Amino acid sequence: MLWVALELPALPLQLVERAQAAPMPLVIGEGPSQRPIVAFANAAARQAGVREGMAVAAAKALAGDLKCIDRDESAERDALERLAGWAAQYTPAVSIEPSGLVLEVASSLKLFGGLAKLLSALRGGVRALGLQATLGIAPTPLAARAFARAETRGIPVRSCTAMPDLPARLADLPLFLLEWPGRTLELLADLGIVRVKDALALPRGGFSQRFGPEALAMLDRLAGRAPDPRLAHVPPARYRARLELPAEAEGVEAILFPLKRLLAEMEGYLRGHGAGVQELDLDLEHGLKRHTRLALSFATKEREAEFILAIAREKLGRLVLPAPTIGLRLVAERLLPFAPREGTWLPGREERAVGRARLIERLAARLGPGRVFGIALADDHRPERGWKNPPAASPRAAFDGGARPAWLLNRPQKLVAGAAGPTLQGALALVAGPERIETGWWDGEPVSRDYYVAANPAGETYWIYRERRDPAAWYLHGVFA
Amino acid sequence: MVDPARFPGVWRAGEMDRAMPAGIPSGHARLDMELPGGGWPRSSLVEILHDGAGLGEVSLLFGALKTVAEEGRAVAWINPPHLPYAPALASAGVPLDACLVVRPAAAEDALWSADQALRSGACGAVLFWLPAKTDYAWLRRLQMAAEAGRTLAVLFRPTSASVHATPAHLRVLVTHRAGLLHVALPKRRGPPLAHPIAIRIAGHPVRHGGGCSSFAGGTGPVPIPRAPLAVRDIARHASRVSA
Repeated sequence: MLWVALELPALPLQLVERAQAAPMPLVIGEGPSQRPIVAFANAAARQAGVREGMAVAAAKALAGDLKCIDRDESAERDALERLAGWAAQYTPAVSIEPSGLVLEVASSLKLFGGLAKLLSALRGGVRALGLQATLGIAPTPLAARAFARAETRGIPVRSCTAMPDLPARLADLPLFLLEWPGRTLELLADLGIVRVKDALALPRGGFSQRFGPEALAMLDRLAGRAPDPRLAHVPPARYRARLELPAEAEGVEAILFPLKRLLAEMEGYLRGHGAGVQELDLDLEHGLKRHTRLALSFATKEREAEFILAIAREKLGRLVLPAPTIGLRLVAERLLPFAPREGTWLPGREERAVGRARLIERLAARLGPGRVFGIALADDHRPERGWKNPPAASPRAAFDGGARPAWLLNRPQKLVAGAAGPTLQGALALVAGPERIETGWWDGEPVSRDYYVAANPAGETYWIYRERRDPAAWYLHGVFA
Repeated sequence: MVDPARFPGVWRAGEMDRAMPAGIPSGHARLDMELPGGGWPRSSLVEILHDGAGLGEVSLLFGALKTVAEEGRAVAWINPPHLPYAPALASAGVPLDACLVVRPAAAEDALWSADQALRSGACGAVLFWLPAKTDYAWLRRLQMAAEAGRTLAVLFRPTSASVHATPAHLRVLVTHRAGLLHVALPKRRGPPLAHPIAIRIAGHPVRHGGGCSSFAGGTGPVPIPRAPLAVRDIARHASRVSA
């Protein structure tokens, strides 16, 4: 067993900070609403002299443009759950701890090409989500957490991958890293026991009597003397994520940065589940229960954050937002099984089909539906019905009629007809025809026309027809372009 | 001293660029002989200059469209003046399921769509009609996109555009004379082809001796006099373009 612990010490702060592109002084306040105190302060606030434990009012006096956000513990819990969902792409054994995650990775090492590569993928991935985590690596989950917490506090530790090395690596760590109750730690400190090695050296019977069997059991699990099974986190079957923006975002460009982070998180979640989405709802919250909903749907199952962002960007570009945005919500109700496409050196027919589907989606996202379409033959002799928009593609593969023009006019255009015949930038000479098309009497839109191919003096060739009921009425219907 | 003409993309004036990758056969042997690479270029911008419609300027490309569609790549029609008519494409052998028609509402969307379609690499050929005032920078960008996506890009413009410089490697001037399509190449990788080639487009109705033999109409035959053909002075035009 090999465990990697992810410790996110300033999670409340990071959750707010990751939605903003440029850093600004920020604190998280908690405690009574009359006199909130600073629970977390970011680097910009610290530079102004703000410290944890200070009253928020005092902090505001120190930094003029300080932003204070109330702590939201349920949001932190949600964020950890989503992070666990994201981490499922690296291993199925992910469990949630009070301020981080632990991952069992021994079985994933081969897939990711060794521990070093896996760790760098984890570090890079967490950074792309806009979070900061310290990593601890050890053969037991408690030791991994202790290592990660030690790194957070600036205590140098070396990761440990083999059980025999563990006691030596743990020996010098201070006991306060273990999250024991404050009373236990004080008692131990009074006895002069501040390091793990001192606690491990104490007689077991006396230790259990004095500090309770739970403390002893924890010490055993830490050192690997007792098993420490963990229940893997089971993420919900649908995906929901919400990101509150620290400041009101005007316009669409300001939303793209936080949206990218939301989509990266979703991509990790979907990868962990072997899933993709075909429909995705993006809600832009404007406050006062008003929101703008953007429905994204794809031709195939998708999960790549970059592609989804490109589609969302085009769709957002066409929106006019009624008010500044204060939050983003991403909802995917249905997760579909996703078969990853193999990358090939020379793209085959399938890759081309995917490339075409993506092009169509990209174009339709910006231009709007109905502006991008295909063409197919339809079983009707009436020229205006001789084509149609797929997807209802007809199986009819060949056309066996007479000469047909490359362009068909949307609706026939009436021609000026002189005494000598129809004209279009000069007198039209009939080149071929007539081809009589008389059909459609059964569905209320009968046509009864004689079609001719006609050319004007400049050599422009047209497809024109004459109404049989009104021989003087000539119409232009196509162009032999 | 190394002969500079041995580098790809370098050729002597008066000779054709022989290092061009093989083109897409146009279906017209006479035209293929004159096109560098023996056909339409596979990843480059081509300008087709024509005045008026109905000369066969689009049908000229049907052979190439058929070839790229059969290779499994799409054929995109961006901002066409009218609807590409399925029966005509089907009779020319162009697979209809490869066709993709884009009708953008605004001029800048047309440019953007052409750029996207070229860059994606999913299309074997992209045919587009752009607003008249499209500037050189945009055309240059489309030329780059065609190279990046390895796509045949065809821009249709009026002949009045021939006075402007173009980043396209191939410029085709299409005119009509005596029932045949005449193709001149005022710009190519090689000496300009000022003397046009006459091409007969399959499926394009050609006017024979005396027009139509009979008029089947409600009121009997209607005599339609033949107007004399206005023949353009193509040679003069072409020399102005290449000057």
